[in-house]
Amino acid sequence: MYALIKREIQDHIVYFIGAAAFSAVFIIISISLIHRYNPKEPPVFSIGLGVPAVTIVIFGICAMGATQMYLDRTRKISALLSTLAVSRSRILLARIITGILAILILLVPQTIAAGILVRVFTPHIPMFPGMVFEISVVVFLMAFACYCIGLQTGWNSSALTPSLGALFLTCIFIPLILIKGFGVHIVVILVLFIVASLLRTWHTFMTTSL
Amino acid sequence: MDENVIKVENLVKYFDGRCVLDGINLKVPRGCIYGLLGRNGSGKTTIIRILLGLEPPTRGQTFLLDAASTELSAKLHGRIGYVAEGHNLIQNYRVGRLIKLCKDLSLRWNDEFFNHLIETFRLPADRKVKELSIGMRAQLNLALAMAIDPELLIFDDPTLGLDTVARRQFLELAIDLIQQQGRTILFCSHILSDVERIADKIGILAAGKLVVDCPLEELKERVKKLRVIFPESAPPNLHLTEIINQQNQGREMVITVANWNKQKQTALEIFKPSSCTEIPMSLEDMFIECTKPNPEYVES
Repeated sequence: MYALIKREIQDHIVYFIGAAAFSAVFIIISISLIHRYNPKEPPVFSIGLGVPAVTIVIFGICAMGATQMYLDRTRKISALLSTLAVSRSRILLARIITGILAILILLVPQTIAAGILVRVFTPHIPMFPGMVFEISVVVFLMAFACYCIGLQTGWNSSALTPSLGALFLTCIFIPLILIKGFGVHIVVILVLFIVASLLRTWHTFMTTSL
Repeated sequence: MDENVIKVENLVKYFDGRCVLDGINLKVPRGCIYGLLGRNGSGKTTIIRILLGLEPPTRGQTFLLDAASTELSAKLHGRIGYVAEGHNLIQNYRVGRLIKLCKDLSLRWNDEFFNHLIETFRLPADRKVKELSIGMRAQLNLALAMAIDPELLIFDDPTLGLDTVARRQFLELAIDLIQQQGRTILFCSHILSDVERIADKIGILAAGKLVVDCPLEELKERVKKLRVIFPESAPPNLHLTEIINQQNQGREMVITVANWNKQKQTALEIFKPSSCTEIPMSLEDMFIECTKPNPEYVES
């Protein structure tokens, strides 16, 4: 399993570097903006920064899943790997773990930074204990859901329809969070979506020609 | 434990409504070298891909090492060496990286033997796979398949793209493997002289069916090509069954018959031929005869 995960990371290292760089840039911009503006003022900058950041995260993660599957299909990587002492389920599992690692590299530093910033600077909105963690969980699930969409899109041979579908589903997530907030409801919806999506990907990958 | 390492039962495969394999039944016992022959598009690669679980069958079942192909575990895969047609290696990897990946993902790895092969083939570890010639890719694929000390080797046209020297090296390697007990080899090739040299059982696919499935020696015994000279012009019909091919030219008739026996000889003698001589047939000749339309006479 370790060799498979290592291979996935090496092959898609650009996404890991991108995730780390994006995370660093986001933290630096957040700190500089908090210094420049009074955090007790209306959160114009946080919306101005947050929405494009989440959009980049969603599309980036979705692109990673799609790239992993697309390159596998076109380069016949799984066709070779599955003739070695490796099962298809392990190949897919290693791929999903790699995706989760990329998301964690992207989100964990931001979560830690947000936790520290909230303690140092008093935010303009009332905060409850564990709010940063709760938001981070929802963002993680949202990113993972988009990653699952990417996995399905990348394996499909006709690119246009699933790509448009992925774009549509991805665009639904942001307004959904704006409407439902960061509570249990959105967590349940996202988890259900992820489970359904993973089952579909799993079934396709296990039964298709390699 | 079943003595058959490979089993194919009523295998049917359709591609886009076109029947590629039509009820194939095949058994390869342990230690056997099975040469699977057929023209381009006859379904040889499809059978191998279904056996390895890379392609789902439309109907029927296939078994490798006592396990259904659709449920082959990682451990079982680790006991099978496979050289794919076209050598499906990861093209953008450097040779060294690909070797390391395969080594890391293998249950067993014979370093000594692998290094010997790499030195023999002079494969550069620092070059990308896509930069290698077709022959070098074949050699790399072969070395990777051999390095795991496989119990079962599946070669899908392994010598494709190899020069004469490399092909000879490959055959010598295969013969070395044969001498190690318990190894089973399924061998597909268009170079019939190679198959003839190493195979002890032959299968010929034509029009989606396995028209020949018997030991090589038996095939040579069963299929006869005869030159028959008649006192007058050759009769248009000999009323013999299982004629694979018949050519008449004046007094001379050249016929290829399956399952030649005394009864057929007696039936031929009714026409009182002046002479009847057997034309020696190579495997290539038999292959050409058997892959012509209507060759359903040789299957055992």
